[in-house]
Amino acid sequence: MTMLSHAIFVLILPLVSAAIIALFLRRSGGAAAAVSTLTAAAIAVISVMLALHNERFTASTEWMRLGGLVISLGFKFDDLAALMLVIVGIVGLCVHVFSLGYMHDDSAKARYFGGLSIFMFSMLGIVFADNLFMMFIFWELVGFSSYVLINHWHEKQSAADASKKAFIANRVGDFGFLLGIVMCYWLNGTVSLTELAAKGEARTLVFSTLIPLFLFCGAVGKSAQLPLHVWLPDAMEGPTPVSALIHAATMVAAGIYMLCRINLLMVPAALDVIMWTGTATALYAALCAITQSDIKKVLAYSTLSQLGFMVAAFGLGSLSSTHLHGTEAHTVVIAAGVGAAMFHLTTHAFFKALMFLGSGSVIHGCHHEQDIFKMGGLRTRMPLTFWTFTIGVAAIIGFPYLAGFFSKDAILYLAFEKNSAVFALLALTAVLTSLYMVRLWKLTFLGTPRSDHASHAHEGGLTLTLPLVLLAVLSLVAGYTAFYPNVFSDVFDHIPEAHGSDHTVIFITSLGVMAVGASIGYFFYKSTPTDTLADKVPGLFAALSAFKNAFDGAYDYYVAKIQQRFVLFVNFFEQIFLAGLIVRGLAGFVGLCGLGARALHVGNLNAYVYWFLFGLAALWLFATGVL
Amino acid sequence: MSPLPFDPLLVSIAAPLALALAIALGLPKRWSVLLAYGAFAIPVLMALHVWWHFGDAAKDHGYAFLTRYATGLDGVGIGLKLGLNGISLPLFVLAALVGFAAGLYAIQSGAERLKIYLMLLLIMQGGLMGVFASVDIFFFYFFHELALIPTFIMVGIWGGRDRSYAAMKLTIYLTLGAMVSLLGLIMLYVKSGAHTFDLIALRDHLAALPLAATVQNNIVGLLLFGFGVLVSLWPLHTWAPLGYGAAPSSAAMLHAGVLKKFGVYGLIQVALPLLPDGLAYWAHPLAWLAVIGNVLIVGLITIAQRDLKQMIGYSSVMHMGYAFLGIAAGGIIGPGGVVFLMVAHGLSVALLFLLATAIYHRTQTFALDEMGGLAQKTPVLAAFFVAATLASIGLPGFANFWGELAIFVALWKFSPLITALAVAGVVISAVYGLRSAARVFFGPSSAELAKVTAAHPPADITWKERFPALILLAALLFIGFWPKSLTTPINAALTPHTSAKVGNATGR
Repeated sequence: MTMLSHAIFVLILPLVSAAIIALFLRRSGGAAAAVSTLTAAAIAVISVMLALHNERFTASTEWMRLGGLVISLGFKFDDLAALMLVIVGIVGLCVHVFSLGYMHDDSAKARYFGGLSIFMFSMLGIVFADNLFMMFIFWELVGFSSYVLINHWHEKQSAADASKKAFIANRVGDFGFLLGIVMCYWLNGTVSLTELAAKGEARTLVFSTLIPLFLFCGAVGKSAQLPLHVWLPDAMEGPTPVSALIHAATMVAAGIYMLCRINLLMVPAALDVIMWTGTATALYAALCAITQSDIKKVLAYSTLSQLGFMVAAFGLGSLSSTHLHGTEAHTVVIAAGVGAAMFHLTTHAFFKALMFLGSGSVIHGCHHEQDIFKMGGLRTRMPLTFWTFTIGVAAIIGFPYLAGFFSKDAILYLAFEKNSAVFALLALTAVLTSLYMVRLWKLTFLGTPRSDHASHAHEGGLTLTLPLVLLAVLSLVAGYTAFYPNVFSDVFDHIPEAHGSDHTVIFITSLGVMAVGASIGYFFYKSTPTDTLADKVPGLFAALSAFKNAFDGAYDYYVAKIQQRFVLFVNFFEQIFLAGLIVRGLAGFVGLCGLGARALHVGNLNAYVYWFLFGLAALWLFATGVL
Repeated sequence: MSPLPFDPLLVSIAAPLALALAIALGLPKRWSVLLAYGAFAIPVLMALHVWWHFGDAAKDHGYAFLTRYATGLDGVGIGLKLGLNGISLPLFVLAALVGFAAGLYAIQSGAERLKIYLMLLLIMQGGLMGVFASVDIFFFYFFHELALIPTFIMVGIWGGRDRSYAAMKLTIYLTLGAMVSLLGLIMLYVKSGAHTFDLIALRDHLAALPLAATVQNNIVGLLLFGFGVLVSLWPLHTWAPLGYGAAPSSAAMLHAGVLKKFGVYGLIQVALPLLPDGLAYWAHPLAWLAVIGNVLIVGLITIAQRDLKQMIGYSSVMHMGYAFLGIAAGGIIGPGGVVFLMVAHGLSVALLFLLATAIYHRTQTFALDEMGGLAQKTPVLAAFFVAATLASIGLPGFANFWGELAIFVALWKFSPLITALAVAGVVISAVYGLRSAARVFFGPSSAELAKVTAAHPPADITWKERFPALILLAALLFIGFWPKSLTTPINAALTPHTSAKVGNATGR
């Protein structure tokens, strides 16, 4: 049980750290940073230990019981969880260390590091969760920590708006997620992943297209797929290390992790929806990235696009292959979607965290300048950032034998086998990926400085550079499945690998798309203070911008014009109709009757006599049948 | 029995009432304030004591700490019978905690005519402890009225904007609601033929001789209307936002936090075990009214509010919709979730009202449009408010989440469509919750606020304000992290094993 206690310790540790910071270290940022970073270091070390140790276990304890509803707090530590745990641990540590330098002079350092600790706690909860209720709980908590960290510079209106938008967009996704969980609970009688797996083995699992689709809503929100992607680019309002950790490497990938967790509930129709959502997101976001001028926004759209790749990979589903064993033919089904998606998630976590931290280093070096058209020439001024960033770019565009090359090939091969339309679209996306990444790289680092900030740029201290080096090394090697110890085999055995002529096709496609995109990016874009595309082909540039703005515009229109007017209308209806006409009207009617009745009692004998006579006349008329 | 030499329930009712009487008889102000600390603290100590010992205490029909006091009205079946079961225990503790926080906040507020204010608050507190400790329906109702009357006076005298209209509306609505529910309770008394208001005796009696279906339907109809007004079921709710908007903070805390739960509590404690068929008969109309009216319509109206306090008032109306949904869903999960949600909501809404007043003291306004950027001046107050907001919109880690979750789970079995509509409420509440937090605290400060803060630089939340807020926040987190502290007694009370004869009353 010793490994279980390690797992419990690793989960509780960041919560304790956050509590200590919130209760005692509010005014001492330095101490808070130390506590949080030491916690992250301990998490990284224990995570690697847990993963390397071959023990895989499940354990759970009852957390709440209400009648037949039992919600437990449990650990499901299999190879999938181990892989995710290591990613979170390593990237988390890198980001904490980087933050030490990046946030050194921030006035609310304690809040920042407390937020990071809360995030680590919530994220680890998702990784370990052995049932969907628990996953949902931590799912919401990562949303909360993301809210706090995006809103770190809360005096900025844009940050306040972005944090709100992120939380609400996630809530929209969680609406479906929760319904899916509840539906699964009633249909299958359990939401424990272990028990669901047992039911799957026994073939007693109840399938429904709605369950995976509802659950996928959660992933659409958290992993920022179309149409809920709008929050992620805005989330760049948060400090850059936060973007690296939460909005690139780990939290946004939680949607893919969750899908892999519930793979056994999938049905073909749901997978198709997932596949097309992912493909559309990948292509759309890549198109958006081309026109961005903010270094972080380019990376944000790139993240969206890569997440789309993972979701599409998952949606492509399993592969079956027939092997001849002597005289018998064995059909082997591998969960290729899970393998490819998780593989790309892993490599992406490293190279995208690397690029985000690299952009952080650039922003730090350029005194918080984020516009790539005001950069340039940073290659000589920030050589280490340049080289590590270059590795990141090479990895993401699929430069041969770097991390992204292998994982992207796996996805392309899977698409090639399963759906040629998706294959074509993903290949096109890959062209765009290398285009916008090389554009970003060239404009930022090559040429001559285009602003004072850029010409005075300088490399940061050791805390800023060390994480870059570590992540760069990982981006170089993470694509070799042989690099990983044999402890993630349950995941990596499912990575689809092309053989023979397929292999050649994929290899050539992959090289081709990279070369085309990179050449366009390199030769077309000039190191000028304006966007070359906007200068040369303004029509296309405007079209792409409009395409990107279409969603934001639609949402803004919805919020400002439809939702706001509708709530005002309902409010008006309530105030005027319900509270006014009916309630006040009722009261008014009673009051009027009272007033009328009082008018009769004037205390004047003559008046009473008149009334008496009037009544008598009425009575007489009535009696004689006149009335 | 509790190991104390006296009845902790009677003491927790009597202590606030005794001090209120002493103040009425002319206790000097200094002593009144000093003793008020004690009179608000005693119920908390007693409540924690009974909560701690509840598990081991001897029980009769699920009730522990039973004591009966002669009232001389035994002839008509009225006796002061005090006791707690697993449903009333959480609410008893809630009443004590919220009362303590409201009392502390009132004392530090230094309101005008503080002595009288405290006296009224103490009467409310005594009444509230009595509501949840009473096993006798007559006293259950009596204590509610005792707690209700001070509310009218407090709104009318210490209230804010529109206080006289609000006080009048509050009085008419709540008196009407109370009257109609009294009618239902009397009808229950008469029709049962048991000649007793004792819930335990009624249970046994009705388990053996259930009421005819039409009688049940009629009684539950009356109760739903009466309690519906008290708990602000749509469209009987218009008193609530107005009343809370005008009420002084401590009265709003106690009323929205605790007293309002009387109606839901009555449905669970009285209607659910005694009139199960009647409740099932009304379940569908009730659920539709609650989901369309309370959750969706009122939820949207909450988004449109420009006044912080009214917004909190509307949000509490919305959350009461979930309570009705849980009751409609039935079973153990539904009503159990409702009890959970009542405790959680009571704590969080009281906290929100407290913080709203604390904000007012710094901004001199409740208008959301005139605020902004307050977090730069008062970071700790901002943290408290954000925490309270997130608690009330059901973020896991806070108590409210469990209640809502259980209700949603139970509701799916009742109607998936209603569940989907109800869960949409979590998005709506996120919109208004985060919007209000952002309007008050984040972004650059507004021109209006800059003027106010230039004249009176706002201090961060003081310890005198912070302490009562911390009590409520700590309770929310404690329950949120350790839900079993509530679900264990709730299960015990709702699971049929307490009396085999009423088994059909709870399990549907």
